[in-house]
Amino acid sequence: MSKIGVFVCHCGTNISSVVDVYKVAEAAAQMPGVSYAAEYKYMCSEPGQQMILDAIKEHGLNRIVIAACSPRMHETTFRKMLKKSKINEYLLEIANIREQDAWVHPPGEEATEKAIDLVRMAVAKVAKNEPLKSSLIPITKKALVVGGGIAGIQAALDIADAGHEVVLLEREPSIGGRMVMLDKTFPTLDCSACISTPKMVDVSAHPNIKLLTYAEVAAVKGYIGNFTVTIRQKAKYVNQDICTGCGICEDKCPKKVTSEFNKGLSDRPAIYKLFPQAVPAKPVIDRETCLMLQNGKCGICAKVCPVEGCIDYEAKDVEYDEDFGAVILATGYKLVDWGGMYDEYGAGRYPDVIDGLTFERLVNASGPTEGHIQRPSDGKEPKTVVIVKCVGSRDPKKGKPYCSRACCMYAAKHAHQILDKIHGARVFIFYIDVRTPGKNYEEFYDQTRKDGAVYVRGRVSRIYSDGEGLVCQGEDTLLNKQVRVKADLVVLETAMEPNEGAGELTGLFGASRDVNGWIQEAHPKLRPVETQVGGVFLAGACQGPKDIPDTVAQASAAAAKVIGLLNQDEMETSPMIAAIDESKCSGCGACEPICPYRAITLETIRSREGRFTNAERVIAKVNAGLCQGCGACTVACRTGAIDLLGFRNAQILTEVDALWQ
Amino acid sequence: MNKNEQQQKMRETAARLLDAGEAAYVIGFGETRFPEKTSILFAHNAEEADRFVWNDACVQSLAKYLLEDRFADYRVGIFARGCESRAINRMIKDNQFKRDHVHILGIPCEGVNAKRCASCAVHNPVVYDELLWDAVPEPNPETARFARAEAVEAMGPEERYAYWSDVYSRCIRCYACRQACPVCSCRECYVDMDRQGFQGKRHSVSDNQTFGVTRAFHVADRCIECGECERVCPMGLPILGQTQKIIKDITQLSGDYQAGMNAEDGNFLGAFDLDDKDDFM
Repeated sequence: MSKIGVFVCHCGTNISSVVDVYKVAEAAAQMPGVSYAAEYKYMCSEPGQQMILDAIKEHGLNRIVIAACSPRMHETTFRKMLKKSKINEYLLEIANIREQDAWVHPPGEEATEKAIDLVRMAVAKVAKNEPLKSSLIPITKKALVVGGGIAGIQAALDIADAGHEVVLLEREPSIGGRMVMLDKTFPTLDCSACISTPKMVDVSAHPNIKLLTYAEVAAVKGYIGNFTVTIRQKAKYVNQDICTGCGICEDKCPKKVTSEFNKGLSDRPAIYKLFPQAVPAKPVIDRETCLMLQNGKCGICAKVCPVEGCIDYEAKDVEYDEDFGAVILATGYKLVDWGGMYDEYGAGRYPDVIDGLTFERLVNASGPTEGHIQRPSDGKEPKTVVIVKCVGSRDPKKGKPYCSRACCMYAAKHAHQILDKIHGARVFIFYIDVRTPGKNYEEFYDQTRKDGAVYVRGRVSRIYSDGEGLVCQGEDTLLNKQVRVKADLVVLETAMEPNEGAGELTGLFGASRDVNGWIQEAHPKLRPVETQVGGVFLAGACQGPKDIPDTVAQASAAAAKVIGLLNQDEMETSPMIAAIDESKCSGCGACEPICPYRAITLETIRSREGRFTNAERVIAKVNAGLCQGCGACTVACRTGAIDLLGFRNAQILTEVDALWQ
Repeated sequence: MNKNEQQQKMRETAARLLDAGEAAYVIGFGETRFPEKTSILFAHNAEEADRFVWNDACVQSLAKYLLEDRFADYRVGIFARGCESRAINRMIKDNQFKRDHVHILGIPCEGVNAKRCASCAVHNPVVYDELLWDAVPEPNPETARFARAEAVEAMGPEERYAYWSDVYSRCIRCYACRQACPVCSCRECYVDMDRQGFQGKRHSVSDNQTFGVTRAFHVADRCIECGECERVCPMGLPILGQTQKIIKDITQLSGDYQAGMNAEDGNFLGAFDLDDKDDFM
């Protein structure tokens, strides 16, 4: 027999100025199963909670309805309160008469009527609620950080500094990511490599960090606190334990291929380090281009290597499992392939039309030109440079609908660098808007204009060659006139997009992505570094375009979340998860692919089925650690064998029925 | 091979199978007192197998009978046309039994005297252990498959509502459609549960419509279009046409869609893929 207590909150005047809370309490007292109803100024306050606890004792209540703010606000508060009573904390319902009523309706009868309806629904549901118990799951105190760019590096260092073990996994032969490719960073113009390489060294030297380069995630099992990740270590063919990193093999390698790191501006050997300051500072053999591995003819690196047995052409990829308690995805971005999008810009036919990252290598002191800006076609120093912004960004028709955020600032930086390095140079920047919302950003942009950069408001409609050189044509929308600029070099500040393979990787962890392929945060404002999957966090540009300061800040934020999780020995799971009625489950498996958290598996059991006393049949099982209680499976199940505890179909239908009473 | 020769071949093959002990019994068609009707025959030995018939009156789908002994540890033999073979694939996909549980005697079929054969798109069995005779030509794809769905689509909204209201005013909720459906494999059907708040028990048009729509959606992406639902309906309601409308919509979303062509494909309406079409959003 349910003895329900209903407690109506004024929320100061938040609710009571719109809803007649006295009338709501009066009406509640008459509802079926309700033994006691009261109102109070602040139910969540200490005296408010005490009042509820006293009423539970005095009136022998066994179920509670609180009519107040959103359950997202104080459901946990009241659950904690119920722990002090004899009532199970899940025999509680919150009727949201603030956000769903007082805040969205004018004062009056109707708002009060709606509040009564909401309370009636909650009363009907709470009568059908059943006691639930949470369970404890252990936590593996080790974190995996996927991606060794500045985001991954920062997150790994922060977690390691807090005393937890970290594995930093990077698929390239070196960590460093995009940041180490850059020359200088806005707005302070400090050298990008000078500030990122010391962090890279810190990573390799940190006793709590295990660095895995040239490695990938092959498979993921498990759930928050208990992930088992299959790591695929690609064969490096160079014994990293004994290699001294002397570099003789790299000098002598006869095979030369285009350097990805230098964006095609130079070549690299088949046995190579990504760049001179690479961490680890030891080469790997690129098996796709190595003559020995492809044709079995060469072997020069093994001959010239001073360390016996260091080069091993027989090395194989190795896969192994490792357990983690938490994961940070920091897979970063890449620039769009603008050639495929913008035929009118030459689609890659003109060597002197380059993207921003290529320019970074061109202007980088450790780049192929040692920092001399020489155009790719003939090595001449360009005198007139056109910079085009928003190439692929803010262009829903041809490119991406979003703003890539960092380009306005690095376009200004590029202009500054050209004007600084080339005497008498002229720089024209075509733009739609100039966006500088960051500390000291506007000042930097201002300075660039004072340096002499000419900002032209408009998109470039065409880039063509007039026989002598490149011509950029576009509309100056402030003058309302077509303009043509003869340029020696054109730099396209192209859009960022999710990195290669980020989608598959996100899928392995069960996290979701937004329409543009960026990893989806659990809440855009309040849970910005968490994914929807418990224990899987994100950092940096894998979530959306970001500059370095934002990336580093987010990486530290994600690290803080991971540290918080790993500091616990075990964690409580929510009991509001899917439950399967085995007697109804026909094992059809419709629920299995629909589960976004991969919490459902099919298992074979034996049971009595009519005249078959030991029949073998398939049923679905829910993993309590993985299930997040989203309820997708309950919809897929035709027979209703799956129900969501705390939100059973019957409970919700009772609520709906109560609305029409 | 004409139908008589085919019938002889069926009898011989079933007898061989039963003699060899490869199946406990074989499911096929048997004679009745009426020449235009056949019954289901479960032959347990060669003698019984000699009573199998194969003619235009073999209108029932045999596949559903496999569910009777789905938990048995012996194997069951069955004659399977295109429609039965697709039903078997669906049952395997829905984990009702393992492929090894059935010995499938494939019988290519160009149609019998059943309404469903007019929209049949698969004449030859898509899964079998042995094929009893040569495959027959498949029908010209899509010629008649969605003719009835298109007829319903051609109506205006009001006319269409009136049409389905009329259909479901005649439904007597005997659930014969569910009973006959080879992909209805739930252990307990939602219509039989006493606490399903959304499915009223009254005999009213709206409760009947709720049943009709729910049933159609429960089977839509697994429906192999065998038309058993419609064949067994004592009120003669055009319910396959209703399901086919949903299948036609699926086809428009996914390109070609035929359930049960293999035992691996999942449920179209129960799957999510990042590459799914979302023009409607």
